[in-house]
Amino acid sequence: MISKFNYVAPNNLRSALKFLSDKKTNSKILAGGTDIIPGFHIESKRFIDTELLIDIKKIPGLNEIKEKKDYVEIGACVTFSQITESDIIKQYFPLLAKAAETVGSVQIRNRATVVGNFVNNAPCADSVPPLLVYNAKIEIQSLTKKRQIDLQKFLIKPYTTALKKNEIVTKIIIPKPDPDLKGDFYKLGRRRAVAISRISLAVLMKKKNDLIDEIRIASGAVTPIGTRLYDLERFAKGKQANSETYKELAIQMGRLVLEITGLRWSSEYKLPVLQQTFYQLLERINSDEN
Amino acid sequence: MKEKFNVVGKPVIRQDGRAKVTGQAKFADDYKFPNMLFGVMVRTNSTHALIKKIDYSSIANDKNIITIVDANDIKGLKKTGLIRKDQPVFAFEKIVTPGDVVAMLVGENEDELRTLARKVKIELEELPVLTDPEKALDENAPLIHPEFGTNLIIHHPLRKGDIEKGFADSDFILEQTYTTPHIEHAYIEPECVIAIPLGDKGIHIIGSIQNPFTARRIVAEVINFPLNKVKVEQAELGGSFGGKDDTMCILSARAAVAALKTNRPVKIKYSREESILESYKRHPYRMHYKVGYTKDGKIKAMKIDILADGGAYCSMTPFVTWRSVVQATGPYEIENVWTDIRGVYTNNPYTGAMRGFGSPQIIFAQESLMDEIAIHLGITPDEVRRINGFRQGSITASGQRLENHEVNLIKVLDIACEKTNFKEKWLENQKHQNRRIPTIEFDEKIRNRKLILSKEEFVEPNEIWKKGIGLAVSFRGSSLGAEGIDAAAAYLSIQNDGTAYLLCGLAENGQGMRTTYSIIVSEVLGIPVENIYYLEMNTSHIPDSGPTVASRSTIMGGGAVKNAAEVLRKRFENFLREYWKLSDDDLIIFENGSVFVKGKEEINLSFSEFSNLAYKNGICLASIGWYQGPKIHWEEETGHGSAYFTYVYGCQVAEVRVNIITGEVYVDRITAVHDAGKIINILGAMGQVYGGVTQGVGYAIFEELDKHNGKPRELNFDQYIIPTSKDVGEIIPIFVEGKDEYGPWGAKSLGEPTLELTSAAINNAIRNAVGERYFNLPINLEEILLKRKPRPEDLKRGSL
Repeated sequence: MISKFNYVAPNNLRSALKFLSDKKTNSKILAGGTDIIPGFHIESKRFIDTELLIDIKKIPGLNEIKEKKDYVEIGACVTFSQITESDIIKQYFPLLAKAAETVGSVQIRNRATVVGNFVNNAPCADSVPPLLVYNAKIEIQSLTKKRQIDLQKFLIKPYTTALKKNEIVTKIIIPKPDPDLKGDFYKLGRRRAVAISRISLAVLMKKKNDLIDEIRIASGAVTPIGTRLYDLERFAKGKQANSETYKELAIQMGRLVLEITGLRWSSEYKLPVLQQTFYQLLERINSDEN
Repeated sequence: MKEKFNVVGKPVIRQDGRAKVTGQAKFADDYKFPNMLFGVMVRTNSTHALIKKIDYSSIANDKNIITIVDANDIKGLKKTGLIRKDQPVFAFEKIVTPGDVVAMLVGENEDELRTLARKVKIELEELPVLTDPEKALDENAPLIHPEFGTNLIIHHPLRKGDIEKGFADSDFILEQTYTTPHIEHAYIEPECVIAIPLGDKGIHIIGSIQNPFTARRIVAEVINFPLNKVKVEQAELGGSFGGKDDTMCILSARAAVAALKTNRPVKIKYSREESILESYKRHPYRMHYKVGYTKDGKIKAMKIDILADGGAYCSMTPFVTWRSVVQATGPYEIENVWTDIRGVYTNNPYTGAMRGFGSPQIIFAQESLMDEIAIHLGITPDEVRRINGFRQGSITASGQRLENHEVNLIKVLDIACEKTNFKEKWLENQKHQNRRIPTIEFDEKIRNRKLILSKEEFVEPNEIWKKGIGLAVSFRGSSLGAEGIDAAAAYLSIQNDGTAYLLCGLAENGQGMRTTYSIIVSEVLGIPVENIYYLEMNTSHIPDSGPTVASRSTIMGGGAVKNAAEVLRKRFENFLREYWKLSDDDLIIFENGSVFVKGKEEINLSFSEFSNLAYKNGICLASIGWYQGPKIHWEEETGHGSAYFTYVYGCQVAEVRVNIITGEVYVDRITAVHDAGKIINILGAMGQVYGGVTQGVGYAIFEELDKHNGKPRELNFDQYIIPTSKDVGEIIPIFVEGKDEYGPWGAKSLGEPTLELTSAAINNAIRNAVGERYFNLPINLEEILLKRKPRPEDLKRGSL
């Protein structure tokens, strides 16, 4: 059941921020609504007390993907469908484009926004692992301040971020990556569409003289939130880029995730599958490069 | 037998298609009436408890409450049921399952009522909960309905030949146990009904009702009205699959009670969560099969012990399990059979009719078993079926000789094998010995360590996907069989411009029968299909034709429609013979909107001119057709008799890929060969195959309604996983039109056969792909890798 709330749709950012800065009103930002509306429906504690929904879709400029010299900006209202159709994204951030294609269904992708995906910060948010390996930053604005923060630092714990009550995430800023970084995204769900991720992985790798020169690894759904696995990246750096190493990395990944999550009801399925699929992903990136 | 058809078997656009895809079709919730009230249910959090007291005082004076109805408002029967009257309209003695409703709040604001519904104080005395059907017949098991003295709902035995001698004559004996889960129908439209009081004229019910005549009977019993004062109208139905029967009868009764109490229209509409919580499911079965066979592959004996979880109410359990007992040995001639099927009460969601109706379970077991016999003996799966399969004149397990129709089991098998190159593919896949799934061993003592792989356990990229092919065959009794009276009526009225009204006493539940019936009329009278207006289903306009179940629309309703059209045709011919002064040898043809004499084509009229002429000559242009199935008999004590008056046959071949590191199964192709008799509505028939196979894929690898203390875990489609269009590959329908003396031109049944075979064919394909046999549906990711399904310990939503 959806409880009562007020709704506003300001046509400029300042006005939206004004509504947000009213400390007495329990307000929430509405973009695609694909988390909030079902959240209302299941009476999620995160949304049940909402008194005011501030729809930001009418604010000009927020629904644009902009290419700059060294980076690309994705506005707060850019939908997953826009991502999948954007040549800029496909060219510089193919993992993000691939992840976007796996989100929900066509109808959901037409509404859901990338920014909303990580502001909600569900463990299974499909856009998070790719954004993390691309070193995405985000820009946050309040009435009085504008700040930038690394996405990894913004994500705190499941369904919790560093966003303050009076702030809006206005855009994502992703630096164009080193063209020698090759990678892939992997998602496992219970079916091929409208599936919640059980495992998601994003990897970017650069080889030099058959050695792993640089590797960036991020996981979703198997860790409490989408996370860069820096320990694993350090472990990999400088090793031979071959099957032996990939298996070692996969085993190491299994240990790491077990350490982070402890044993859960799902571990006996997920952990071995995580190792196997991570190994597959590394082999695939390796063979794509050759 | 008619050989040449003008309309039958040709593609005809579905009559209600345009309205449905353009949003014009009127579903139950689209009906709104002045002064309409809403009814909202009051439930408890209990699974099994005695109701001590219901206290409305905290909400009774709320301005949003117009009235509250509960069992005290019922003037007729407080408990209903289609077979056994064990289900209260409003629970008043006990809570026996979490879906139970104790009262309904009635008012103008549905949202406010939903908030208030939680504030009713219900004093309960908790009782021990019974969720394991295997414990239902234990001596100390809690009794769900103590008035019956046992949790046994039904026991169907079937005895044929000498079972012990059969096993003694066998070279080998194989024993296996299979299980299947609760399944949700997952119709797209949740339940909705409106009751409108009509004063002296009684009450009018409009709803998403699968069986309007059944709903009428139940409503009349509950409000104590004669049948002719309960008018049940079917709104356009957003799917049913057998699921909008008992639940809708009870909802109709609740709405009627409230409408009479308030003298205002009352609407009830369910959320998806309420729908899944309260509506009935497909029966979970636990099936133990013991089979004896010779080294030549001939089955000598089959002993079957099946336990069906009936849940909290009887519902259709006796009939569902009866179909199982008739068909449990599959389409095989076996001399010695000993079958016991029991249905029991538990505190789980109650189980009833669902597309397939007791056959998908047993086919999963028995067709998996047949493949095991083939593999054991080193013969191919099609061979073992050829050795044992029904042929013309074969005797079934219940002692019925298969005659009066073409027994096309081997024919559908042959066609399916040929079209898919089955044997060659199956043998090729079977050769590879390095295909096994790296099954994960989970040992409590060393659990952490085991979950981290060793390097040798990694699967190389080119080894991940394994291909497999598998088949399953079935026979299925058409229509109701010995379940009950089997007859249907149709009303056909030609207007004096040649257009027509048509209505059958069965209901359009999405299966496309309006189109099928219009095709039949068009074939007999030559009226263009688009000139036939199919009337709205209303119990006061047409004789009771029984329920729209058991894939009986075409065979029974179609028979009635054909009869109505033929009665008119005969009448029209007699009139024309006199009017045109024809001899008895002249052949009058009704075709493509015109009427003419064969060989004397200059004598002709358009059907429109003819209708006007007949009308002006005082000829009655309307008729009521009737079609009754032939007599059948059944002896319950021994399971003997001619269970159904005719049968259909099918064979499906599944081609799958299995990912041995994730446990994903992808169905590349299903080739579905069905003998459903004459195909009247070819597009409708293809649609039945596409839909049925897709549901079968869901049954095989995705769907399961899991329970926690009797309460469904999956209350919406974020958690209850059904296949999407991306999850099923190609589906190829092939129809074999076996001859039959029953049904319109020998048309029989197709709706259910399309679903019942798929899970077994997929299981056999998985076995062929990876060398592992699975016994428990669904064969989902965990089942493939772990051979069990770990679950969270509570009902919280979270990562799946």
